[in-house]
Amino acid sequence: MAFTNEDAAHLLRRMGFGGNPDEISDLESRGKEGAVDYLLNHQNINNQPLDDLLTASFNFVDPRDGNRFNQGEIRRWWFTRMVHTRRQFEEKMTLFWHNHFATALSQVQDLYMYIQNLKFRQYGLSRFDDLLEAVSKDAAMLIWLNGLQNVAGSPNENFGRELQELFTMGILDPVTGQANYTEDDVKQVARAFTGWKFRNPRQGSDPYNAEWFIQANQHDNGSKTIYAGTPYQVSGNLGGEDVIGIICNRPQTGRFLTKKLFDFFVHPLSSSSQDKQTIDKFASVYTSSNHSIKELVRAIFTSDEFFSERARYGLVKQPVEYIVGAIRMLGADYRPGANVTGERNQTSNALAGFSRNMTQDIFNPPDVAGWDLNLGWTNTATMLERFNFANALVTNRNHTNPGVSITNDQLGEYTKSKSKKTVNKFLEVMNLFGVPKEVKTNLRNYLETDDQGVKVGYDKNDIDKKIRGLVHQILCLPESELN
Amino acid sequence: MPITRRQFVKRSAGMVSLSLLMPKVLLTDAMAQSTNRRIFVVIQLGGGNDGLNTLIPYTDSAYHSKRPTLGFRDTELVDAQSKSMILNSQFGLHPALTQLKDMYDQNQVAIINGVGYPNPNLSHFTSMDIWHTANPASPTGTGWLGRYADEKLAGQSGLLAASIGTLPKSLYGDNVVVPSISSFQNYTYQTDSRFAGDRNNQINTFNANNNRVFDAGSFADSIAEMSVDAVAGAAQVQAAVASYTSTVTYPAAPNPLSAALKMAAQLITTLPQANLLYVQMGGFDNHSAQIQGTNKLAGAHFTLLRYFSEAVKAFYDDMAAHGLADKTLMMEWSEFGRRPNENASFGTDHGTTSQMMVIGDPVTKGIYGQQPSLTDLDQAGNMKFKVDFREVYATILNKWLGVDAQEILGGSFADVGFLG
Repeated sequence: MAFTNEDAAHLLRRMGFGGNPDEISDLESRGKEGAVDYLLNHQNINNQPLDDLLTASFNFVDPRDGNRFNQGEIRRWWFTRMVHTRRQFEEKMTLFWHNHFATALSQVQDLYMYIQNLKFRQYGLSRFDDLLEAVSKDAAMLIWLNGLQNVAGSPNENFGRELQELFTMGILDPVTGQANYTEDDVKQVARAFTGWKFRNPRQGSDPYNAEWFIQANQHDNGSKTIYAGTPYQVSGNLGGEDVIGIICNRPQTGRFLTKKLFDFFVHPLSSSSQDKQTIDKFASVYTSSNHSIKELVRAIFTSDEFFSERARYGLVKQPVEYIVGAIRMLGADYRPGANVTGERNQTSNALAGFSRNMTQDIFNPPDVAGWDLNLGWTNTATMLERFNFANALVTNRNHTNPGVSITNDQLGEYTKSKSKKTVNKFLEVMNLFGVPKEVKTNLRNYLETDDQGVKVGYDKNDIDKKIRGLVHQILCLPESELN
Repeated sequence: MPITRRQFVKRSAGMVSLSLLMPKVLLTDAMAQSTNRRIFVVIQLGGGNDGLNTLIPYTDSAYHSKRPTLGFRDTELVDAQSKSMILNSQFGLHPALTQLKDMYDQNQVAIINGVGYPNPNLSHFTSMDIWHTANPASPTGTGWLGRYADEKLAGQSGLLAASIGTLPKSLYGDNVVVPSISSFQNYTYQTDSRFAGDRNNQINTFNANNNRVFDAGSFADSIAEMSVDAVAGAAQVQAAVASYTSTVTYPAAPNPLSAALKMAAQLITTLPQANLLYVQMGGFDNHSAQIQGTNKLAGAHFTLLRYFSEAVKAFYDDMAAHGLADKTLMMEWSEFGRRPNENASFGTDHGTTSQMMVIGDPVTKGIYGQQPSLTDLDQAGNMKFKVDFREVYATILNKWLGVDAQEILGGSFADVGFLG
């Protein structure tokens, strides 16, 4: 089947945040496999403009400099990346892992949150074993799930539990419904991770190197038996790395990861037998590829399931997707401002603020289970926040100060001579394919109605009022909330 | 027992439109019910308020030896009009709290002394979490008022609860989402301010597009319904707030608590179901310059306490003017107090226990709890608490909010006695 412009737009919204018509056409021309390959191998995409912008906007040389490195700054940094990167999948996959290994500023210092974020980028498409090991040894995680308090003789079970419940297998196998582990396994696994610590980055050396080590006198060297009485039973003086390998080898991990990836990138999975088959199908890719995250997601993004009717607009946009997507699709501006030596200290953290008000406080998920997706995002207060972000985006004409804005020229690019064509063009720009005629009529009526409520006809030159209003109304469609 | 998303939406305490759109006769019923209102307003003083210089143990020689510069002598416990701030033979109020002294004399203030919790945490954040969750052992998850709202408010419609400003963890619930309103100006469906004449067109278009029929149970269906409710509800809040009138003049800016309490009053007096409000004022982390130079009647702490006192008095008067004085209870808290020993920069460092105030006609006035010893201190040089803050919560939950405190707090706590 041909890979259409609409398919390409769907792919870019899911593997990234969406793009303008030129970006989508470029992706379309690569064909399905080519497009997925292009987005997956993001390291090959020239990202110089982003690198330059980051250099000009941030000074992270010394994380102890609280004026330049703090909670607000790392949020601004990530939003700047998401809006301006050409490597969209790098950001999206990092967001996935941030939600999967949900760790939060509420308990963890900004420095360690930042280091963890870099690890998600480094290992995000590697073998799952490698990512899991990196995250398990990560300072943020050792703080967050009490790894530092997990010592021989008095193990803290927090990490041992969440490792199995939330990070790898889940309590129950999503296909068979069988319990994946017991309370005793939680205890045994916790013992394997006792004594795991990190060294505080030292002054003079790499200030971002929080080096992992095992404090020998706090590590439990006794024999542990995990998954006793199951085909996965292992005994011996197991360490944390051993346990990670054992868990990653279990097929339940492939199934659980598939489900998490589908829920985030494709559509929510049910417990139907058809969906169980889907899980098994992709879990087998995990196994056959030796746990390659990259091959697993490649299989998902090229699958019929991903391009099915059920998947189209089958997710509610996360706040970050709504915000970054609107900016990227419209080709609007986000200027992060500068906070570097010798520059004016004037920055905009507006995007992180909007997102937080929509309940996605980036770097600060509510708990270790991550954010509650889809309708979890929506209530009357957060819907107002979405609409008001949209209004702020389309009505901010100030193009020079830090913040988000759009000019009449930028809007004029898509404004046509007839109201019908203008409506169609902006719907296309905003990736809304198949919107019913009723909506198009409503939007045309809006364009053609004056302040007295009288239908006076369309004026293509009235960009400053009516085209801005049109885009606001498009962003307030229920369809715009869907991804 | 997980609830479905659909239920979640329906239970949202932020659903303001339904009852507001009720026919007039029902609205009248709701107003009638308002004779049974139990309004509860939480005032959080962020940063760690110096309890020792709020309720001042002026006869304790240890207080004066530890506070040679910051401490108030009995002769100094007078306000700007030379009114005595002394409450009894042991305690006086800080001279900035002149309105609260009057309210105390009018039987409207209960002060609970020596409030804290076991194994005190001196981190602002962790200690706040402990107070928010009412769970010192594991301060994560839902807040104590969120759990109250889950039990008592879920399933009802209308604007039942709101936070002025950001949403505090106290109000995190499983089944309810409490809206946070930073300003009424922003709590509205905003359109281009440059073209106010186009606003009606925008709203008409919005409603036409969101009032369509969608597949039942689809995301779009839920979202469209919620969106219409959100915009209509915000408009109703705007209309209600616009109908607010008051004979009371609130203290002007920059008193932030005054602005927040006025917003709370605007909701309470115009929306008969708006009974749980939360306001905050920060700035109490006075490690230095707690007083101005050596002048105790100026500086950061004096100013903040004056804001507090003036704002509470105006809010109380406003409630009274609307016939709600006997239906309104305020509770003040801060995440910890300050260390008894003043430091070398005219300030105080993080401490443990502090006082709490519960204010309003429903209280029985008095000083509850007990002054912790200023000589028998913990290793960090801080006081040992006498009253667990959860006892204060429990008293309010049981006696004012009408729920079983044990269920909300996960344990049994003594009644402090300030309510009936």
